[in-house]
Amino acid sequence: MAKIMLDVKELSTKYITRFREDVYAVDRVSFQVEEGKSLGVAGESGCGKSTLALSLMGYYFPPLHYMSGSIKIDGREITSMSPDDVRRNILGAEIAYIPQAAMNALNPTQKIIRFIEDVIQAHDPSKTRADVRDMARKRFEALNLPADVLDKHAVELSGGMKQRTVIAISTILSPKVLIADEPSSALDVTSQKMVIKMIFDLMRDGFIRSMIFITHELPLLYNVTDDIAVMYAGQFVETGPAEQTVFDPIHPYSRGLMRSIIVPEAGARSQKLEAIPGTPPNLKKPPAGCRFAERCKFASPQCRASDVAFTAIGGGRGYRCLYPEERLREVYAHA
Amino acid sequence: MKGYRKYFLKKLFWFAITLIAAVILNFALPRMMPSDPIATITQRVTEGMNNQNAVMQIYREYARKFGTDQPMWKQFFIYIGNLLKGDMGVSFQQYPRKVSDIVAASVVWTIALQLPAILVGWMIGNLLGALAAYLRKGFDKALVPISLFISGLPAFGLAVTLLVIFGITLKWLPISGGYSYDMLPSFSWRFIKSVIIHYQMPFWSIVLIAIGGQAIGMRSMSIYELNADYVKYSRFLGVKDRKVVGYVFRNAMLPQVTGLALSIGTMIGGALVAETIFSYPGLGSTIMGGITSADYPLISGVTLIITVMVLTMSFAIEMLYGVIDPRVKAAQSE
Amino acid sequence: MRNTLRQASHSANFMIGFVLIIAILIMVGVYPLFNPGSPLDMIGLGTFFKPGMYISMYDAAETAPSYTLRIDGAAAKRIDAKLPQSDRESMKRWLTAYGVPEDAIDVDDLNDLLNLWHNTYDEDARPAGLTSAFRRSVARIDAALDGLLEPLDVRVYTRDPQSGEMNETARIRDDQFINVSEVVTTRRLWLGTDNFGRDAFKELLAATGVSLKIGLIAGLIATALGLMLGLLSGFVGGLVDDIIMFFANLFTVIPGFVLLILISYSIGQEQRGATVVAAVIGCTSWVWTTRSVRAQTISLRNRDHVNLSRLSGHTLPRILATDILPYIASYVVMALILQICSGILAEAQLSMLGLGPKTTETPTLGLMMFWGMTYAAHQNGAWWAYFPVILMIALVSFSMNLMNTGLDQVFNPQLRS
Repeated sequence: MAKIMLDVKELSTKYITRFREDVYAVDRVSFQVEEGKSLGVAGESGCGKSTLALSLMGYYFPPLHYMSGSIKIDGREITSMSPDDVRRNILGAEIAYIPQAAMNALNPTQKIIRFIEDVIQAHDPSKTRADVRDMARKRFEALNLPADVLDKHAVELSGGMKQRTVIAISTILSPKVLIADEPSSALDVTSQKMVIKMIFDLMRDGFIRSMIFITHELPLLYNVTDDIAVMYAGQFVETGPAEQTVFDPIHPYSRGLMRSIIVPEAGARSQKLEAIPGTPPNLKKPPAGCRFAERCKFASPQCRASDVAFTAIGGGRGYRCLYPEERLREVYAHA
Repeated sequence: MKGYRKYFLKKLFWFAITLIAAVILNFALPRMMPSDPIATITQRVTEGMNNQNAVMQIYREYARKFGTDQPMWKQFFIYIGNLLKGDMGVSFQQYPRKVSDIVAASVVWTIALQLPAILVGWMIGNLLGALAAYLRKGFDKALVPISLFISGLPAFGLAVTLLVIFGITLKWLPISGGYSYDMLPSFSWRFIKSVIIHYQMPFWSIVLIAIGGQAIGMRSMSIYELNADYVKYSRFLGVKDRKVVGYVFRNAMLPQVTGLALSIGTMIGGALVAETIFSYPGLGSTIMGGITSADYPLISGVTLIITVMVLTMSFAIEMLYGVIDPRVKAAQSE
Repeated sequence: MRNTLRQASHSANFMIGFVLIIAILIMVGVYPLFNPGSPLDMIGLGTFFKPGMYISMYDAAETAPSYTLRIDGAAAKRIDAKLPQSDRESMKRWLTAYGVPEDAIDVDDLNDLLNLWHNTYDEDARPAGLTSAFRRSVARIDAALDGLLEPLDVRVYTRDPQSGEMNETARIRDDQFINVSEVVTTRRLWLGTDNFGRDAFKELLAATGVSLKIGLIAGLIATALGLMLGLLSGFVGGLVDDIIMFFANLFTVIPGFVLLILISYSIGQEQRGATVVAAVIGCTSWVWTTRSVRAQTISLRNRDHVNLSRLSGHTLPRILATDILPYIASYVVMALILQICSGILAEAQLSMLGLGPKTTETPTLGLMMFWGMTYAAHQNGAWWAYFPVILMIALVSFSMNLMNTGLDQVFNPQLRS
């Protein structure tokens, strides 16, 4: 059995707004990512997937706050570590992050090499400028990035180059887990492909050892990641291998989500495109029962009564619904 | 390097154009004055004379000397020619002292007073603004209204207040002049000490006003930068907080540099009026003397010097900005 | 717009500034109703009368009835007030020179000092180290002391118009009082008088009104010019933009203050009324508004609703008025507030240099300050002639800046804490 790189159990985090209200953005999320594997997280915008990305870093600053749960990176628990310990030993070194808006992720008035210096020296102060330059040049060459980028400022780079530079910097310390938060959403199609290829090259070449890919574009996930998790209102409602989750979803929400998207594969074309009616619940006061109940065609009063547990059904699959799998399939067949 | 040269040349071009426009305005505006300044000065010189012919003679003599008997365009070229020779005419009031001498004597005082004061005020203001943005809470809550209040004060108001408190009530500092009135300028220790003592109140009144305005601007810029994406990204890569704060304040500071270039004219205007409160021997007191005695060559000379001073300072700041902010280079090479 | 106002009213900064301004406006408008007459009447013959209640001495002497009140120490207080500190110091100097030990003399204890003086002073003595001029001045003090010690009645004599004789008509004892409210002519001068003998408080309020008007006119002119040029420059673009921006760039670097001096001076004292000064200030400060309106307009220029309007064949003024203006209205309001504020400051600074409005016809804050300084009010301790003016300018511009900060927080949510 492969080593588990990232093991998350019952992780909950919340935002505290400036009016001192709590927003429960991530609720009891559990999953594992094995070495060499990738997990895709899908969901509508506002479902908490970006917050999940931030929550996984183990480093919280306002308005985001840690509530409960555990995060283990390669067997090492990080939620109990002091913030400074996390900063020095985990962030960037063990778990790294590619932000949503890579365009503005680099300080516009700093040379790339100076920033890399700050990143590397934050974890290993003994590295000299020459060491850093050496490391950076080697890594940039390995990733087919021109080394003269190092001596430029972020403002002098084009959009695609900036994005690739951000990826190179994020992974410069060869982290065990890479979290990519919609790294391609602001780019044109060619650049998108390049970015995705680059991330998988990183994995292939062993510069990163596992990956979480967050996006609202499902087709992207199906093509690139091994597993998929569907997120709704701060919870994982379904997890499983990519192909099964896309073409044979169990949870009513996953099913609705898949049917609202054109998947360019045989068999999917004939399906009718439909939107899910209604809006996600207010996470300041999450409902007591199933969070999807208000929008679910199949909801019963029981669904709203009490909390719904996550059920694992083997084959790496699992879902959060009151109904057993067979019952759901039966209902879908008649719908 | 190409980007810098382009930026530099562009700014230099603008500097030249503005300078020419300023000279034209400076020449034209006072000459649109309805009263006849030559008549005024003739009257002053010929006071008590009865011979009308002699008075006319003197009037013509002055008209020729100041060139007011020529057509406007010719006057302009004479004016430009004289300017290039450093000749700004002769003061009416302090006849026959040359305007250039009077201005040269006072411009030194003004530059020595205002340049350090504005720079010190700018630096302290930026520091306070950055602190307010970083610390927030009580410090921020106190700094914002205080800065707003001070920056709303006219410079002369603060000057009078300081003067009354420290000069008249507490008698710690002298209330007027650039040095003690019983001394002649020299390089003696006694004289330098006197200059330093006289320097304090005008200096701090300008500094305080500058602090107020800058602190508010810097606070807004810093808050804006603290929310920038690169801050979050840097933190998630484990970069030390101290370094991240360094990025933020450097980036917030850069627009403040151009801000200084743009507002330096306004600041100097206010500071000149503050000078008059202390009868400081600078341009402010000189121009006020010129206005009270309808001495137009003097007014014209002082306004020209102020304009050149402001233009040169903002040009210098823009040059500096071009070097320290890489965004300028990037924008020029697009 | 209504929505904007409602949002603005949620900002504490905005509301504090707004209330302050309204309070000032109410004072400016209401006070003249209680105290009619021109604020420029020179009621005081003399400069810088202290603030306080002024009571007609003539009426006071004639006010009936008078009341007898026994107030402890009234006599001592009176003598205390009449013997100035400098005289006490002179007495002390004489006494020490005469040989009295210094620590035995207490100039603050009047009874003690007078007793000591009475027992020691000798007009013919010539203590060492004192000039004869000083001895003479001490002799004068001594003479005056006799009158002080003895509470003599004040006698009022009037001349009989027929005989020319002087007759005693009233005799005022030192324990006789009148009630101020029964005196027919009194005048409360809250801030005393200025160098011309005008009621400084009344003048201050009138001047605030005029200065606000100057600020408003200057601000409106600057904002109107800036708005028009900025809209044209930003929307039409091309050559129009180039020309407008050329001048805007020019006037950004040429200090507006210098232009103000030159223009105001060229106009000449006679033509310089408050309105003209306001217009001149307005015409020299349009640049900032133009720049920001232009930037806003450019960002709006290619929005869908604007394109739609253009395609429907609407005229330029109509597009500007209905599709652009509503979106930049909040910025324009903020710019206007700033311009009003800087207009008031500009007037004050011009006036300080002697280039303010024609000085005899209108009071402005700057002119009050100018005259106060010209007559060295600050060196004479006449704080009421200049300090309230500074405070008023500061208050007006503080409240306007506060309103602006409030609006800024409403429109740029990032600045909220």
